[in-house]
Amino acid sequence: MKPRIRVLNDEECLKIDQASRSLLMEVGVQAEDEEALDLFHQAGAIVDTKSKMVKIPSHVISRTLAMCSSCVRLYDRKGGSPMLIGGDRVYFGTVGIATNVLDFGTNTYRQVICGDLRDIIRLSDALDPPDFILIPATPTDVPSSIVDLVEFKYLLLNTRKHFIGEAQNRINLKKCIAMAIEVAGSLEEIQKHPFFSVLVCLTSPLLLRSDAIELIVETAKSGLPLFIESGPMSGGTSPATLASTVVLANAELLASFVLAKAVNPAVPLIYASWARILDMRAATVSHGGPEFPLLRMATTQMAKYYGLPSGGGGILADTKSIDVQLGMEKLGTGLLPALADTNMIVGMGLFADENAISLETLIIDHEVCGWINRVRRGIDVNDETTDISVIAKVGPGGDFVSTEHTMKFFRTEMFIPKIMDRGFLSLDKDPEAKCMRTRARRQYREAMDRYTPPVLADSIETRLNQIIEE
Amino acid sequence: MDPDTYINDIIDAIIRLEGDRVTSLAVKAIDGGVPPFVIINQALTAGLRKVGDLFADEQMFLPELVQAGYMVTKTMEKIKPYLSGGEGSKRKALCMVATVEGDVHDIGKNLVNLLLSASGYEVIDLGKSVPTKAIVEQVNLIGPDILGLSALLSTTMPAQQKVIQVLEETGIREKVKIMVGGAPVTRSWADKIGADGFAEDAASAVKEADRILGLG
Repeated sequence: MKPRIRVLNDEECLKIDQASRSLLMEVGVQAEDEEALDLFHQAGAIVDTKSKMVKIPSHVISRTLAMCSSCVRLYDRKGGSPMLIGGDRVYFGTVGIATNVLDFGTNTYRQVICGDLRDIIRLSDALDPPDFILIPATPTDVPSSIVDLVEFKYLLLNTRKHFIGEAQNRINLKKCIAMAIEVAGSLEEIQKHPFFSVLVCLTSPLLLRSDAIELIVETAKSGLPLFIESGPMSGGTSPATLASTVVLANAELLASFVLAKAVNPAVPLIYASWARILDMRAATVSHGGPEFPLLRMATTQMAKYYGLPSGGGGILADTKSIDVQLGMEKLGTGLLPALADTNMIVGMGLFADENAISLETLIIDHEVCGWINRVRRGIDVNDETTDISVIAKVGPGGDFVSTEHTMKFFRTEMFIPKIMDRGFLSLDKDPEAKCMRTRARRQYREAMDRYTPPVLADSIETRLNQIIEE
Repeated sequence: MDPDTYINDIIDAIIRLEGDRVTSLAVKAIDGGVPPFVIINQALTAGLRKVGDLFADEQMFLPELVQAGYMVTKTMEKIKPYLSGGEGSKRKALCMVATVEGDVHDIGKNLVNLLLSASGYEVIDLGKSVPTKAIVEQVNLIGPDILGLSALLSTTMPAQQKVIQVLEETGIREKVKIMVGGAPVTRSWADKIGADGFAEDAASAVKEADRILGLG
């Protein structure tokens, strides 16, 4: 068997489903956009154009869910087989938002600039995992009106992995798609093999902002995959009980799914969440505490309850330094969602309350993911792995180091760490000499020495810049 | 093929753990006129040293290091008939190795033995949990160039010190070079108890043996 964890039983999932449906019918969501109100109306929702409140009957939700696929296929530009998002598969990715970087050279915080974004994307391209790249940082040296476009350009130029891009409005999303067409050749080619998805962040409680609506509608029209996240904060933008926070996150996601499917029944949708807590002492969101993985496992289970592909935050940390707290938070918030089969776990590289990224934390998270993936594989018990003949051959008091059996199995049975320090305690040595961070720094240099970034014709980059400036 | 090509190919085959290729290349090289001692020193021993370096650098793994040791030992056996009193026919030196009294851990010690013998040393293995008295008797009787003492536990490390003390009391300490090793053993412990050499792992044990005998 494979080790797996559930935090909700079927009755509890049903209770959350019932509460979410009641909430959408009795309160509804507010949609700040005429077009969305029309679309909701056409889908069967009860719309009040004056208050812009949309009440969604249960049968509309059920019909929407019936239109959703249990598996979304995400491609890359390497031409291989797609990632199948759904079921028990787990993929790890980076995540964005961070506007600060812990500088590799000076070990001080400073604002992210385009060069950092390029370095982080390239390191993400070189390592495996990340299996996909959600825009991993926000550069501060470009005008905010085009920052999403610049990010999209850097993704196109520096990775061939699947990526999740963001756009701040309909115009910029259209420009992103235009840039992707420059690289792929045609919209049809992108639709056939979508090598990027579009990120949508919902606003809690129960508000569909016009920018989110524009992204959902425009992406659905193009038929590209949508990675929709709801991130209510328990005690802040959602009630203090974790269960109500799941109810709210679930209701918001279901409402957004109704809208997307009203535009295009074929649009691929991924149910993702960052449901979390507001820390009552620091007055900031917390992503590293025990509630975070509990909420992630719960939202994942709700996705599975409906048969939907799932995603959301994980492998995260609140700590401001690369320290013991980082290790504790990253493993806890990564391992638990992974054991609940959250299909797309995003968080690699991010720390410091979602505010900073660094090359070292990305390397450390790569190691954390390897550790988690080994746990997920469990213990393989079959006739071959329980064969006693090798024990008989070695006999009492012998050793297995030099057997063919060990040579055959040690690499697959054992996780081989790259930066965890193992080996003997040498009392006369510097305890920090081989610490994880030191080794991460060395690993970074080794990884980049071996790496060659993707090559695109200069004319394409020129064309991308033209699209951004248009 | 010229000797350098053979040497490089043999080293490459050792690193790739292609045992049959190591042996056939070594035999072919000797048939082609490359002196056996050149094959031993510049190809087999050098290849094994390279594997040791890769192991120390965490690029190769324990079972692979052991396999490389076996491969080279096997090839040494195969080319023995070609050696006839020349430089390469002599063993470098005689090493006697034991896990000290009270300690039954011998995987590390066996690995040291394997790599020492694959690197041209003659090795006498006294086994594990060998009483101090027995070690001293064997040193007196056989007179090895090097005595290697292994201890995996901090509780058995004092037995290394005890062996050296008894050798001194018996008056034969100066006749043998002593190396100590094992997980908890450090260079400062080696210095403290008056050992001549210390090695952190099996591959560096060979280098250390070469060093203290003035061969490296």
